Amino acid sequence: MAEKEATVYIVDVGKSMGERRHGRSVTDLEWAMQYVWDRITTTVATGRKTATVGVVALRSDETSNDLQEDTSFSKISVLQNLGQVLMPDIRRLRDAIKPSQTNRGDAISSVIIAIQMINTYTKKLKYKRKIVLVTNGTGPMNNEQLEEIQKKIEDDGIELVVLGADFDDAEFGVKEEDKDMHKAENETLLRVFAEGCGGVFGTLEQAVSELEVPRIKVTKSMPSFKGFLSLGDSSKYETALRIPVERYFRTYVAKPPSASSFALRSGGQGQEEAEAGAGQSTSGGEALTTVRMSRTYQINDESAPGGKVDVERDDLAKGYEYGRTAVHISQTDENITTLETFAGLEIIGFVHMSKYDRYLHMANTNVIIPQRANDKASLALSSLIHGIYEQDSYAVARLVAKEAKPPTIVLLAPSIEADYECLIEVTLPFAEDVRSYRFPPLDKVVTVSGKIVTEHRNLPNEDLQQAMSDYVDKMELDEEELPIDDSYSPLLHRIESAVRYRAVHPNDPILEPSEQLTKFAHPDKQLVRKAKGSLENLMSAANVKKVPPKTKGRKRLRETEKPLSGLDIDALLKQEPKRTKISAENAIPEFKQMLSRADSLDIIREAVKQMASIIETQIKHSLGDANYDRVVEGLGTMREELVDYEEPTLYNDFLTSLKGKILGEELGGDRTELWWLVRKSKLGLIDQTTSEVSKVTEDEAKEFFSAT
Amino acid sequence: MADEGYTRDDENIEEEEVDETSFRAVKDAVLFAIDVSSSMLKPRLSEDPKKPGQESPTSAALKCAYHLMQQRIISNPHDMIGVLLYGTESSKFYDEDGERGGDISYPHCHLFTDLDIPSSEEVKELRALAEDAEEARKVLVPSKERVSMANVLFCANQIFTSKAPNFLSRRLFIVTDDDNPHGDSKSLRSAATVRARDLYDLGVNIELFPISRPDHEFDTSKFYDDIIYKTSPSDGEAPAYLQPDTNTSTAKGDGISLLNSLLSSINSRSVPRRSLFSNVPLEIGPNFKISVNGYLLLKRQEPARSCYVWLGGETPQIVKGITTQMADDTAQTVEKTEIRKAYKFGGEQVAFTPEELHALRNFGDPVIRIIGFKPLSSLPIWANVKHPSFIYPSEEDYVGSTRVFSALQQKLLKDQKMALVWFIPRKNAAPVVAAMIAGEEKIDENGVQKVPPGMWIIPLPFADDVRQNPESTMNVSPDALTDAMREIIGQLQLPKGVYEPLKYPNPALQWHYRILQALALDEDHPGEPEDKTKPKYRQIDKRAGDYVLAWSEQLDAAFDKMFGGTAATKSTLVKRGPKDSADSAGGPSAKRVKTEGGAGGVDEEVKRCYEKGTVSKLTLPVLKEFLTAHGRSAAGKKADLVDRVEQFFETN
Repeated sequence: MAEKEATVYIVDVGKSMGERRHGRSVTDLEWAMQYVWDRITTTVATGRKTATVGVVALRSDETSNDLQEDTSFSKISVLQNLGQVLMPDIRRLRDAIKPSQTNRGDAISSVIIAIQMINTYTKKLKYKRKIVLVTNGTGPMNNEQLEEIQKKIEDDGIELVVLGADFDDAEFGVKEEDKDMHKAENETLLRVFAEGCGGVFGTLEQAVSELEVPRIKVTKSMPSFKGFLSLGDSSKYETALRIPVERYFRTYVAKPPSASSFALRSGGQGQEEAEAGAGQSTSGGEALTTVRMSRTYQINDESAPGGKVDVERDDLAKGYEYGRTAVHISQTDENITTLETFAGLEIIGFVHMSKYDRYLHMANTNVIIPQRANDKASLALSSLIHGIYEQDSYAVARLVAKEAKPPTIVLLAPSIEADYECLIEVTLPFAEDVRSYRFPPLDKVVTVSGKIVTEHRNLPNEDLQQAMSDYVDKMELDEEELPIDDSYSPLLHRIESAVRYRAVHPNDPILEPSEQLTKFAHPDKQLVRKAKGSLENLMSAANVKKVPPKTKGRKRLRETEKPLSGLDIDALLKQEPKRTKISAENAIPEFKQMLSRADSLDIIREAVKQMASIIETQIKHSLGDANYDRVVEGLGTMREELVDYEEPTLYNDFLTSLKGKILGEELGGDRTELWWLVRKSKLGLIDQTTSEVSKVTEDEAKEFFSAT
Repeated sequence: MADEGYTRDDENIEEEEVDETSFRAVKDAVLFAIDVSSSMLKPRLSEDPKKPGQESPTSAALKCAYHLMQQRIISNPHDMIGVLLYGTESSKFYDEDGERGGDISYPHCHLFTDLDIPSSEEVKELRALAEDAEEARKVLVPSKERVSMANVLFCANQIFTSKAPNFLSRRLFIVTDDDNPHGDSKSLRSAATVRARDLYDLGVNIELFPISRPDHEFDTSKFYDDIIYKTSPSDGEAPAYLQPDTNTSTAKGDGISLLNSLLSSINSRSVPRRSLFSNVPLEIGPNFKISVNGYLLLKRQEPARSCYVWLGGETPQIVKGITTQMADDTAQTVEKTEIRKAYKFGGEQVAFTPEELHALRNFGDPVIRIIGFKPLSSLPIWANVKHPSFIYPSEEDYVGSTRVFSALQQKLLKDQKMALVWFIPRKNAAPVVAAMIAGEEKIDENGVQKVPPGMWIIPLPFADDVRQNPESTMNVSPDALTDAMREIIGQLQLPKGVYEPLKYPNPALQWHYRILQALALDEDHPGEPEDKTKPKYRQIDKRAGDYVLAWSEQLDAAFDKMFGGTAATKSTLVKRGPKDSADSAGGPSAKRVKTEGGAGGVDEEVKRCYEKGTVSKLTLPVLKEFLTAHGRSAAGKKADLVDRVEQFFETN
């Protein structure tokens, strides 16, 4: 459970805060609010009730605080008492925080008010207390009784942060030229005041620039396994070895926040509300209502209209598919398919470090550490860690994290640092997890006759190898370690910051990702400059040619259409007397072959005509959706071939006529489901992006599907 | 429940193997065409006296088909498989109305298992054929006249055309020992080559599993080189036809080795190659790109999720669940286009338009961009978050990709280097920083490729994904103790010092399907599960037992030395009962002192109580410690724990 928090932000809203200085595009107040909003919305994003925030306006037009009887507390307004900040508060604060018409109001007094707020709210309870004052330091400041206030801050355990626009900060490198005398005095006063009570004094520029660096949520890990790391079976052999250990995440992917589904609120109501600017429930200008899932269950029933009937949830039992057979499992046997296992981490054997292929890592990693406060366990585990390490080995073990959980096989690798020792554990693949797809070798080419060739257009020659070697060496990264610590999940942080930004600025467009997030999207410029010559050499040695999009996906070379022997099948096909008419049962091959033999446009036309009539017959005779897949295959083949033969119009004309017939229910009744399938399979009109000779534009092709 | 299913689908999108360009269904259909001739039926005796047995090539092929069928039910539950016997006396094909029956349009072609997702009956029938000689004798009768290969091929064509229309991958596995079925008959040969071409144009890939006869080496040049094509029609881009297969993996020899080499050869082709992403640019430097395809060679295979079964009819039927989304206020169905995504924030929702959401997820087009190189040793063993992707060059977008890729792969292999890359596998996928490492080709003892050559992309954790190490006690092992451990490690190397995944089937997955199979086929309960992941306890005891005892003494000595007198009182390690010695290796000494009643450990105490029937008198911490120590769940009420402890003794 995270600690309770009480933070009061004091925002200087004096008249002078409305000015733009030193060529900045934003006013001092806008600048300060970049920081304050970021902090507040970060707190809101946690959704924690106990992360409370208060907001005080300094140098406000009005006066509204608990000590306002005393005139030294005038022009200070409490805008938000301590509590959980929600969206309505954010909207209210956004409207309330504007530059005022006054420059009066004492900054030190505002700190006293903030202390008061915290005291009232937190009483003596355990809280993380904090006051953040953001100002440009041009207002009046009373230097009386500072020590007393400092003592109070320290006694109450409050952390004070003072940030100022254009405050001098030698360390960060900010120095305001021609600084106003009064401001210089104020700066000194604030610095002494803050640093005198253990607080922080800084310049706003630094605070805002640090917002760029994403903040990482620290998650406390819980052990995912507590038990014995063992070697041998202790229930049967007295030579078994057991060490009590615990297992924790070493890495675990932090997921971006997930969005929930909503529906637009029915009726124009949402619009009105949005226009009225009040009560709208989202920042997007649309009123949303939550979405519920409802599930119904269907089975196939040929006698029913549509071939399917609904069944009741109560008539269903749990089961599994075995092939296409349903296997039902009664409730009493619910765990019948679960393998009986008991928790434990058991060593199977050891492997050589150098013979382990790093790509076998299947998942996130964990650490295995000795049982807490058990010196003997830690000593025993240490001997294993060092033993494995000195033997240049890894251990392979079987892990069952909890009783009845499926076993996994894990690799245990030693990790030895000056002040920390553990085993790194990672899941290894089982036999079923390995898919054996085969690929030709990369360092030689084996010809059809089985001859091994080492010079080939697919193999690098010596020049290319040398050029590649030089380039790789030139592009070596200097840093000692991989940049894991300063690489941040781009999607996670982009969405989080977009949500926070949108909450405060509902009408602004979304922002580009911050530079920090895309730091590793491109190689370092300096490195690229250094390697420029090598890259040029490499490119000329490589002689890579981009395939023009026009010929991409074009019919494969004739050569590859021959069997291994190289026999000319086309010649054989020509001799086949019966192949002048495409037969329905062998339509696709015969259609392709007729096209490849075509020596005139008339034959192509004839082939398409025959194929079209076969497809229409298939539709007409389809019982329900029985022939739909064949139809899609036929259409798809036709489309592909006619793109290749640069005759898109033939396909487009046929598809247009087919659409008419389908929608007109001329092909055996209602075939809308088929049309939907055609759409889903992206078998629409061939447009100009697909085939240059097409007369159909991309928009027309889209229109073709949407119009009914 | 419904909700859960929904989010899971969302996650899966990332991993699905997609083909965005094709209208074809990403499914695979395999049809076995098994030659049934007298030479194929002739049993071959095992030459190995230790493994007696006999196997005919046909029965070996049927066993392979059965094995593949079983395997694919687990690994590819939506893919089809069928078995066509040819050269049989009997003929069997579809009737006019689509049912199977005695048809003479394809004489001597016997469609034994129709091409489909197998049903439990079909599994049973095929097994009976593969194992039961009685059954086999009826069907496996060779015909007296020669079967026309053109007919066989066209028969296969018709099966694919009608049963697996629009599949992305359709494969015909021919198993035969006859390298020249039509001899010199020119017309029959040319008819067969034409039918083979039809299959090629239909998109069916013919894969040959040749078997040599004892006195005759199978020669593909006699006939099959006219039947088989260089490129696979469904994977035309890749130079897929791997020559070594036909040359080196011709199955031969006696029955058992024939079966094994056939199995290994078929296994290596059990799944069609499907890409995870295709033609993604690999940007080696600014303005220097080649194209690669990505594949998932390693992916955790999970049991299929349970489903609902309707029991109202004669046979149980799988129910299709349909989820509709309803607006909460009006209870009206909401169409997909009306759904808005919003994030919960400050008690309300912060919404974005679909276009904005899309833009937020967009970090540019798919790319693998090299941002520099580092020694392979700089990749920490812990820096991992998920399984890797495998990449292999493609010539489709950039001609010359293969040679450049090869140069890079060889350089990285030779110098033990890795590339650091910015990796966006497909449109709108979240970018990751990844390590790209070179992988060597690996060949198994049968000459079949085990691991392909190429490169692997290993996504690295971001700073957000790295957890802090938990606090831990550290007592560095003294050299003598470490040395004692090294002795143990030295005794227990896995064969060749290598982890071989293929030796370890997933026991939970196999058991799940084993039970389902028994239920589906009405078999007896299979009894004990086979679990190859269990350590070989006897061997460990035999090989390392003495070293463990030596280590244990070292441990006690080191512990005494480091922690002095305090340890001496805690330790009863010298006397070892069978169970006690287990705890001796660093048992939870601190705790044990607290819970120990007398001289014995927790185990003894609990055991005593069990024998006296007073387990329920034990305290909760003792019960918990005992159960945890034995890998049992320690959750629940006291009564549950007592039950579990008693159960432990009853079954042990």
